[in-house]
Amino acid sequence: MEWADFLQSFANGLLIAGLYAAVTLGLTLVLGVMGIVNFAHGEMVMLGAYNTFWVFTLLGIDPLLSIALSGLLLFFIGLFIYRFTIRPILNDPPLNQLLLTLGISIFLQNLAMILWKTDSRSVITSYSGMSLSLGVVNVGMTRLLTFLIALGLTLFLLFFLYKARPGKAMRAVSENNTASWLIGINVQKTYLLAFGVACALAGASGALVSTVMYTYPMVGFKLSLKAFCILVLGGLGNIPGALFGSLILGLTESFVGTYVPEGSGWAEGISFILIMVILIIKPTGLVGTRRE
Amino acid sequence: MNRSFSWIKTLFPAFLILLALWFPRLVDAYFLHLAVTFFLAMILASSWDILARTGQVSVGQAGLFGIGAYTAALLFKWIHLSPFLGMLAGAVISVIVAALLGYLTLRLRGIYFSITTIAFAEALSVIWLMTPGVTGGAMGLSTPPLFGGDRQQAYYLILGILIFCLLVVWMIEATRLNFAFTAIRENEEVANVMGINPTRYKVLAFMISAFFTGFAGGFYSHYNTYIIPYEVFGLGISIACLVMPIFGGLYTITGPVIGTVIVKVIEEYLRVTVSYGHQIAYGLILVLVVLFMPDGVMGIWRNKILPFFKAR
Amino acid sequence: MSLLEVSGLTKHFGGLAAVQMVSFAIDRGEIVSLIGPNGAGKTTIFNLFSGVYPPDAGEIRLDGDDLVGHRPFEICRRGVGRTFQIMQPFPHMTVLENVITSGLFGRVPRVPMKRVEEEAMELCRWVGLGGKMGVYPRNLPVADQKRIEIARALAIKPKLLLLDEVMSGLTPTETTEAIKLVRQLRERGITIFLIEHVMKVVMGISDRVIVLHHGEKISEGPPQRVAHDQKVIEAYLGEQIDNSEESSC
Repeated sequence: MEWADFLQSFANGLLIAGLYAAVTLGLTLVLGVMGIVNFAHGEMVMLGAYNTFWVFTLLGIDPLLSIALSGLLLFFIGLFIYRFTIRPILNDPPLNQLLLTLGISIFLQNLAMILWKTDSRSVITSYSGMSLSLGVVNVGMTRLLTFLIALGLTLFLLFFLYKARPGKAMRAVSENNTASWLIGINVQKTYLLAFGVACALAGASGALVSTVMYTYPMVGFKLSLKAFCILVLGGLGNIPGALFGSLILGLTESFVGTYVPEGSGWAEGISFILIMVILIIKPTGLVGTRRE
Repeated sequence: MNRSFSWIKTLFPAFLILLALWFPRLVDAYFLHLAVTFFLAMILASSWDILARTGQVSVGQAGLFGIGAYTAALLFKWIHLSPFLGMLAGAVISVIVAALLGYLTLRLRGIYFSITTIAFAEALSVIWLMTPGVTGGAMGLSTPPLFGGDRQQAYYLILGILIFCLLVVWMIEATRLNFAFTAIRENEEVANVMGINPTRYKVLAFMISAFFTGFAGGFYSHYNTYIIPYEVFGLGISIACLVMPIFGGLYTITGPVIGTVIVKVIEEYLRVTVSYGHQIAYGLILVLVVLFMPDGVMGIWRNKILPFFKAR
Repeated sequence: MSLLEVSGLTKHFGGLAAVQMVSFAIDRGEIVSLIGPNGAGKTTIFNLFSGVYPPDAGEIRLDGDDLVGHRPFEICRRGVGRTFQIMQPFPHMTVLENVITSGLFGRVPRVPMKRVEEEAMELCRWVGLGGKMGVYPRNLPVADQKRIEIARALAIKPKLLLLDEVMSGLTPTETTEAIKLVRQLRERGITIFLIEHVMKVVMGISDRVIVLHHGEKISEGPPQRVAHDQKVIEAYLGEQIDNSEESSC
């Protein structure tokens, strides 16, 4: 029944796109506000995932409830990282910033290996196996909840950026930080807050990740690459672009998984191939960039 | 770019080479093996540095390493090609792939180039995993022990390639290539207006770098007798390629060598203390270097230690 | 035949016309200045000449050969040397090495390293950097950095030298020296095309002046004639009035 397969594939793609979008939000925020590509963003997600796993395993708290916990934890970790490693290199050439954040990424990946070994962890809740029937399509309960929460996170960020004072400051700084400084915005504080919020978002999405995927030290690296792919697809540093890119990636992976023989294996490579193809054809990304 | 103490510069390396040649008679199998891994790492570090001299910061050298490794292993599996020829073949195929990749990525600057190289290595990894019929997939490929297990021969082979690699770097520094590479790295647009063809030199650097990285991969597959995609196309290799020269001092001959020695010693120490995650040192070193010693060990040598001697 | 012939040169950025149907010629041995209010399109013309980007329309002929569509290094090797408004010496090379670099690659046929080195040292001395050849550019004052730019451009033995605002930021003494240098360059047989804001210089050394405004050529001729051209006066005054209106808000 081709139509049903298509719809199911579409639905799965949509759901996973929501998760990818949540993961990419923070990366987009930092890039937009500070112009830095945080190679360690994936590891913030990884830490959020592990945090959720341990809180669930040791304290029995439901993963989707402990999102706030992961968010909070990563917020403070983000502040710490910003203060001691990012702030000193704000004006360094981009390559230095790449190497520094790459260093943090490697450090955290290996730290996770040392602390928690390389086994894949799963978070299985009472509702993990449940699914909802929406007409012809079956939707996993966890995936649906994850999608809804991811949507919520996105709306929260948009609300924050457009209605809250610190958020508006971030938007101003991302447009023009000299002008912002001239009108009295504390650019340094804005950067600090933006980085913290970005890591908090990463941590929160990590909680989501833990319910839908396996949690292991390298999961952050995998997600980082998907996030880069989304950036390249949707434009660097803008949120609607990130949503658009997430949709493209999620749907492509899903359709490849359904229609290509052994597709689920090949789907993993979609993000890499998209990155290479797009950048080679259009060196500044599909939509181009407002800020390099 | 300075010339001083030239007598040390010729005598010291000569002394080191002699020491290296005598080395196998002095130590047992364990240290011989360690030396081989050190030399292999130095080749990777040096060849990464060659590419970096044109401003192309690759975080995906594992792609070329893995291609070299699998070329050698597959050619052995299919036609029983001798190990040395297999390594050469690995080097050549790597060069061809690098030339192609180099052309395709010419317009990519800075981190876009780096991201593309990461994607390149990961894409290869996925392709390998999905084609087990041809490549052996996740199960990997085996080869018989190199030179029948004679560690000494392996040692001399890799030492020879290392010396060859360092000679190539020395030649680059001694000729107009050095000016071209440096100019492109510092300001590609201005270099272009000054008469330098960026395409030619960027692709050339990529190809030279790939030759040694690919050869190293081919050597590794025979020496290790077993390779899997996760390892030879893995991020760990790509990171190793860059941490050592960055720590030791970029755009120098000795920087990558010294960087490798120090980093590898730390790594080996960690390897016996923790089973996984010994590359944690790599991450820490990268962060510390960027924050506190951007010119690496050689930078400290040049700026802090050497002036003491010159002051006399 | 003129050394340089430009016809119908046009370049748009986004929707804006930076250069619009500009045509002129420069004869061998001339010193020609390109002037105009800010944003008139002067540096765009230089960039079009050196091949940094292609024009949307028009021709640029050097000794009859069309330069359009060629890459910067090819144009350089045909004998077009240039300096940059924002000085960009290679930071990790010494003064001498900077000059050697263009000498090595900007000339056809290739010259052996030894001779390039000797000629580079000569050039450094000639522009007044004789004692500073081993110094790194970041440690040098503005005037010296401009000398590096000029020496670097001269190392390719150009037919046409494009000087982009070399006189800005110089003291009166330095300006006089710079003018002397430009005249000596002409005596060496090099044709010079300058972008300049410093009117004293423009009036003093130019054989001819070309005036650009909003991307179009509005006047051309000997300096005195151009200085009294009503259109030119309006263009500059117009800018001054605009500026004073803004500042009184």
